Amino acid sequence: MIWTETGPTRSKARFFENRRLLSLVLAGALVWSVASIDWGAGVVHTGGARALKDFVLALFPPELSPAFLRIALIASWQTVAYAVASITLAVIIGLPLGVVASGTLAQSSRSRIAAVAGVRFLLAAMRSIHELVWAVLFVTAFGLSSLTIILAIAIPYAGILGRIYSDLFNDVPEEPLRALRSAGASPLRVFLYGRLPIMLGDLLSYSFYRFECAIRAAAIMSFVGIRGLGYEIQLSLNDLLFSEVWTLLLFLVALVLLVDYWSTRVRRSLAT
Amino acid sequence: MIGRKNTLREIAAGPGRITFARVSLYGFLLLAAISWGYILFGANSGFADLVSERAWSNAWEFVRELVGWDTGARPAYLQADRWIETGKLAYRTLAMSVLAIGFAGIGVFLTFVPAARNVSDGSLGGRPSFAGGALYHALRVVFAVTRAVPELVWALVIVFFLSPGILPGAVALGLHNYGIVGRLSAEIVENMDPGPARALRASGAGNIQMLFYGILPQAMPQFITYLLYRWEVVIRTTVVVGFVSAGGLGREFRLSLSFFQFTELALIILWYLILVVAVDLLSAWLRRVVRD
Repeated sequence: MIWTETGPTRSKARFFENRRLLSLVLAGALVWSVASIDWGAGVVHTGGARALKDFVLALFPPELSPAFLRIALIASWQTVAYAVASITLAVIIGLPLGVVASGTLAQSSRSRIAAVAGVRFLLAAMRSIHELVWAVLFVTAFGLSSLTIILAIAIPYAGILGRIYSDLFNDVPEEPLRALRSAGASPLRVFLYGRLPIMLGDLLSYSFYRFECAIRAAAIMSFVGIRGLGYEIQLSLNDLLFSEVWTLLLFLVALVLLVDYWSTRVRRSLAT
Repeated sequence: MIGRKNTLREIAAGPGRITFARVSLYGFLLLAAISWGYILFGANSGFADLVSERAWSNAWEFVRELVGWDTGARPAYLQADRWIETGKLAYRTLAMSVLAIGFAGIGVFLTFVPAARNVSDGSLGGRPSFAGGALYHALRVVFAVTRAVPELVWALVIVFFLSPGILPGAVALGLHNYGIVGRLSAEIVENMDPGPARALRASGAGNIQMLFYGILPQAMPQFITYLLYRWEVVIRTTVVVGFVSAGGLGREFRLSLSFFQFTELALIILWYLILVVAVDLLSAWLRRVVRD
């Protein structure tokens, strides 16, 4: 494999040493994982090849009857509603936690270290459990309802957003902040007029990406019984109606592309 | 002194101008209001249930059962043989995550260069061709479809074709991550400094030489870094994919839940957290190696 040397100060010998080590580790990991597949049982089902052919051919054409498109549209709306509600809650929880975790507001160094460590640990704990695992645990504990599901998505997403926000706030170049400080601005003002506006584009673009992920998360919440695209996909799969499955998958693709396009347009509009 | 409202407005647009960003902000707020309305006032919102005393006593009961408090039997997480038994599943789960990233990585490595616009339209110095343009659009569509469909849905589809085990789960995770890393890697090429590649082309390098000396050296570190970041995500999702593809910790998680073996469930969550922390540390170390 070919690498570039990133730092001019890096010694050539160390660089080659690392490159070889890394290639070895990656190749070794791959070999190990392939070896741990259970090859004996046969990789493909009996009839699996035919099922695959049926599935691929079902794309031409997907199910496009008005009645089914109506079902797909309603399911898409349900998925979007859950995603929007979850991501708003995640931003509301994640933004203040991210600000604290960045440690940019605290004045004395001791309170700063305690706040940063505590909140960083909290964020890590929130995001280390997958949203569907949260959902299964919450549903077992509290029973199934829309709000349990939204909490189950919002908690890990707030953990991820908080961490990324805090990293972004820390990545602001020093010079403009120093200028603000020397003009007598308090840490809060430095944050509001310095860090926040400078990083606004990146904050938005990452939040949009998480919104896109939230759409997928909302779709898979069908596993704990929530209506939406995932639910309809499961129903159609159970009936082996692959062309219906494709229609629903294409709706999911359209939603994701729409969010992606929206995000690009917003960023371009902010840049000008 | 500048007012806060004024500054933020100036950031979002020139003062008073109607921009796409501002319309989007109001649009999103409206969408959020409608969504919350739909959820809170629609069927079984469950807000009343969630704050009811019964829900909290149920939740407390569940926590007690997870910990195995005065149930009589010794909780699973205090039995060495249960640790070993579930440890084997954790090992298979780890293998599934590595396999998934391996599939995604090999797939992306083979396809990300033609999926970059500056390669296909010749702005890196090549000659644009119809085939190159068609390949670019086809790959972008494949990235979009594989990325938009969640791992779990891929897994549901794939268990129709592949025998249960870690392989269907790894293929499902690999497909989804192929779309994500593929798109990111194509963007690395699009955003890279065109200087070295153009200089190579100008001095008469062929396509293969361009690839190995002009594009890959710049793109590889970032590509590996993305793969490692995705690995951290994949290890969290592996358990979830195991729910349907019958491999590793996920299957055991579902079984324990349906048999109400809650201390067993606690043990599986412990193993899950161990895997997550271990992969995060390992990935951070490897990323440092890539950077240095």
